Amino acid sequence: MSITRRNLILAGGLGTAGLTLAACGGGSPAKQDEDVTDITVVSGNNPWVQGLEKHLDRYAEETGVAVHLDTYGNEQLNDQYKVKLNASDDTFDVMVFQVQDVAREFARNGWLLDVTDRVEAESDWGWDDFQEAAREAVTVDDVVLGVPLMTERHVVYYRKDLLEKAGMAVPTTLDELEAAAEALHDPGSGMSGIAMRGQAVAAVTQFSSFLYSFGGDFQADGASALNSDAAIAAYDYYGRVLREFGPEGVTSMGWVEASALFAQGRAAFYLDADSQAYTFLDESSSSVVETVDFAPFPAGPAGSKPYSIVPWTAGINSFSRKQDAAWKFITWATSQGMLTTLMSEDTLPSPRQSSWDDDAAAGSFPAGLVTNVQATLDGVVGHDRPQVEQVAQAREYVGAPIIASINGEDVPAAATKADEQLQELIDAEAPA
Amino acid sequence: MITGTAPAGAEPDAAHLSAPGPVFRPEDHRPERRRGLRDRLGSWIDRHLKVLFIAPSVAYIATMIAFPILYTVYLSLTNSQGAVTRPFDMVGLENYTHWLTDTDRFWPATWRTIYYTALALALEMVFGLAIALLLRKSFRGQGIVRAAILAPLVATPVAIGMMWMLLLEPNIGIVNHMLGNLSLPRLGFLTSPGQALTTLALIDVWQWTPMVALILLAGLSSLPDEPYEAASVDGASRLQQFWYVTLPMLWPTMAAAMMLRAVDALKSFDVIYATKGRGGGSEHEVETLNILAYGQSFEFSQYGRASALLMIFLMLIVAALAVIHILRKAGQQ
Amino acid sequence: MNTVTTLPLPRRRTSRHRLGSTLRTVAIAVVLAVLLLPIVWMVLASLRTTLDIVDPQRFLTAGFTLDNYRGVLSRYNFSPFIANSFLIAFASTLIALVVGAPAAFAISRFHVRNATAFLMLARVLPGVSLLVPWFFLFSTLGVVGGYPVLIGTHVFVTLPFVVAVMAGFFTSLPEELEESAQVDGLTRAGAFLRITLPLSVPGLATSAILAFIFSWNNFLFALVLSSQQTRTLPVAISNFTAYASVDWGGLMAAAVVITLPVILVALVAQKYVVSGLAAGATKG
Repeated sequence: MSITRRNLILAGGLGTAGLTLAACGGGSPAKQDEDVTDITVVSGNNPWVQGLEKHLDRYAEETGVAVHLDTYGNEQLNDQYKVKLNASDDTFDVMVFQVQDVAREFARNGWLLDVTDRVEAESDWGWDDFQEAAREAVTVDDVVLGVPLMTERHVVYYRKDLLEKAGMAVPTTLDELEAAAEALHDPGSGMSGIAMRGQAVAAVTQFSSFLYSFGGDFQADGASALNSDAAIAAYDYYGRVLREFGPEGVTSMGWVEASALFAQGRAAFYLDADSQAYTFLDESSSSVVETVDFAPFPAGPAGSKPYSIVPWTAGINSFSRKQDAAWKFITWATSQGMLTTLMSEDTLPSPRQSSWDDDAAAGSFPAGLVTNVQATLDGVVGHDRPQVEQVAQAREYVGAPIIASINGEDVPAAATKADEQLQELIDAEAPA
Repeated sequence: MITGTAPAGAEPDAAHLSAPGPVFRPEDHRPERRRGLRDRLGSWIDRHLKVLFIAPSVAYIATMIAFPILYTVYLSLTNSQGAVTRPFDMVGLENYTHWLTDTDRFWPATWRTIYYTALALALEMVFGLAIALLLRKSFRGQGIVRAAILAPLVATPVAIGMMWMLLLEPNIGIVNHMLGNLSLPRLGFLTSPGQALTTLALIDVWQWTPMVALILLAGLSSLPDEPYEAASVDGASRLQQFWYVTLPMLWPTMAAAMMLRAVDALKSFDVIYATKGRGGGSEHEVETLNILAYGQSFEFSQYGRASALLMIFLMLIVAALAVIHILRKAGQQ
Repeated sequence: MNTVTTLPLPRRRTSRHRLGSTLRTVAIAVVLAVLLLPIVWMVLASLRTTLDIVDPQRFLTAGFTLDNYRGVLSRYNFSPFIANSFLIAFASTLIALVVGAPAAFAISRFHVRNATAFLMLARVLPGVSLLVPWFFLFSTLGVVGGYPVLIGTHVFVTLPFVVAVMAGFFTSLPEELEESAQVDGLTRAGAFLRITLPLSVPGLATSAILAFIFSWNNFLFALVLSSQQTRTLPVAISNFTAYASVDWGGLMAAAVVITLPVILVALVAQKYVVSGLAAGATKG
């Protein structure tokens, strides 16, 4: 099960000098069971799982395979995987995971099955129908680790009533966004110009679009790029707008706290993932149902380059003894028909282009979001955090200058330090 | 470090010699064989009673401590990470030099640990002694009062953390609301990087002062009366009595309570983790050594690095115990 | 009126005495308020809707509701966690009694100092430093996340307590009873089982209550070593904020569900708990 050094082949992969992960899909495949009557799916709590639950009985009728579903909260999910997979647990078969957080680490640990050959071989299922950014997102160093279940993009939520009252147009550039936030910032009456995540680790993913739109990235040619001029400018911008036009105590806000402000009508702009739109359209939790609108991510010096990522991916546990049955279930659950159904029934942002071309399915979304999805098919970036094995550690490094910037401290110095730390981490991960 | 167990007969065993047991055991004149067998078994058990009774506990603790400590030492010299099944190499003392030269996380975490412990310990001892003296003389309803002050210390720390999160919430918490009513400045408490660690130490004080008070109360109630009578005859004031009679006689109990609380405060984890989460906040403002070590072990899976950190942490705890032990000796002089 | 002038001294003393006792009563009231009001507030908050909690103006005047408790049991499905916490605390306490009581007896009768110190080591070591190797060991054996591992590690919390409290208790029992039982033909072990143990019920109760509370409250071991099926209450509540928005009402109800049982046990058995704490502390 463990990786041996012999299997580690140098590969100048994208970003990091990574490993050929094919070698890590379990050196010796787990012994496979013959007649499979049931499989177990472990997943975080997400719209795909919620929508799919209703169809599982049908799957059992059609195939004779019963599906057990175990769902966890997001942080618990990763802890569960670590506990179970460290113990070479074979009691679950399909594992739904957050590809950007854990894919590299899990693959290096030999926990995720390489499904590259399987997606290529499955001709009428249509791997090519998945949006390119989505396919790239689940591919690490040329190895496909799972199938995308949904997508998520950076979007601008704004209060159209406030913009109208101020006689302002919807901002299309970052400079206009800052000007609009300044104009609508009114702390005296409890209105912040802009709300975004300010908690160091949580903010990293939302900072990414700013970084790209200023012309930077977390890494370039396998090395850290956190102290590039573009990165420093992006850090400076992100911290400045929050410091000057953001809410009090922003450095302890994750998306829960920041989106709550917007939902309570206490922020004019809120930039975050479009998958949160429903919290603002829900009468019971939102006071801005009538006044919220959506706009594409504003352009920076390098254009508008928001992230467009795959939050959830279905892969196969490499210790599973029912891998073929697990794969069969994944292809059924990600088929064109199923994903389009889930999109119209449960407003799941499908990773398949054909779902968005389907008027009935796309019609279940707010129009502003659909145009945003169609508008951001070009120029989007398929990752929203550093592409390393130890993502959690890297996020701490990348987040530190954001805090320094919000606090009005020396941004270049903080960026230089973060750059050194990230570089050290990349070097440490490169196979000796 | 105390190693090894107490082997049987390691010390002269007065109790055993004077025990009348063997002397009065009936001789083997019994006709029934079964009785004899049971007798022989019984006498064998009696002869080895000490070992038989103590061995399971000591064996359990030894397995759970000795193996882990040795394994932690071993891991601290490797670059183990990711998965427990992943191969790793020996890297010598690299992990130790990494931490001891780490001015970003390690040293601040060390100072935070010391600050938190010192603040909590000092306040707990002062308030604990005050409450113990307050409850020393019997009064009506003392049973109820003693029962009531138990509540904070038996309450589950994680839940207590959640409770204080609500009470101290800057915008909706009752504490800020009261401060506002008194026209005092509102505070950020747990959400403000500058105040969070002190706030957590004060929560520790709230939770554990009753424990110190109850221990000192038990100590006070076992003090003899004669020294007080003598002091009264000499015309000593209340304050003098406290200073020259109570404190010196109570000192051993106080030192024991300090030992207990110092170790627990150094190890504080539950409330800090429950209220501030991973990494001790946005700016690591409450990241103590224990939180840092936990994150390295189970969030970043850096088993080698974490093990080295834990060894350093262990040395700090031993050092703290040594300091208190020296104080204890000095107090007895 | 005459008496007023004839007895000035005692009179002054009583008034000063009265002032002193009034001050003392006030001081005790202040201490109680500081220690108890937060808990009262937590219970009050658990009986309010979240909307009433976030508005300090409405907090005190709002009506009571049990919805939060229903939510804890249904929406957040805390029932299995409650069962897990009970099972693990109960089992680890029982094991500690069975293993620890004889050890405490031997320690008190044979004056073994080394073993006491060794058992007390378990109180001193930081849990995290043991967890890494434990995690390696249990993972390699493939038993991590199961009940046996959680119960076994919680014994690490309960056993030192039982030994410390019981050793003190056995020392306070006179040895003559055991000796006379042996004169009557009982073996030493038999005397322990038939004479000493029945007399030790108060001590056993004390150490059992304390051990149960400390196992119930333990957070760290279950945080690392439990799986979804074996998760305990403290871990469940620490994950509470992972849900969408902060449901203060539900959170406080969950906190009450966890803390109230141990507080009630401690109140009912407060004499035992206090003596046990003092014994456990001074023996360390």
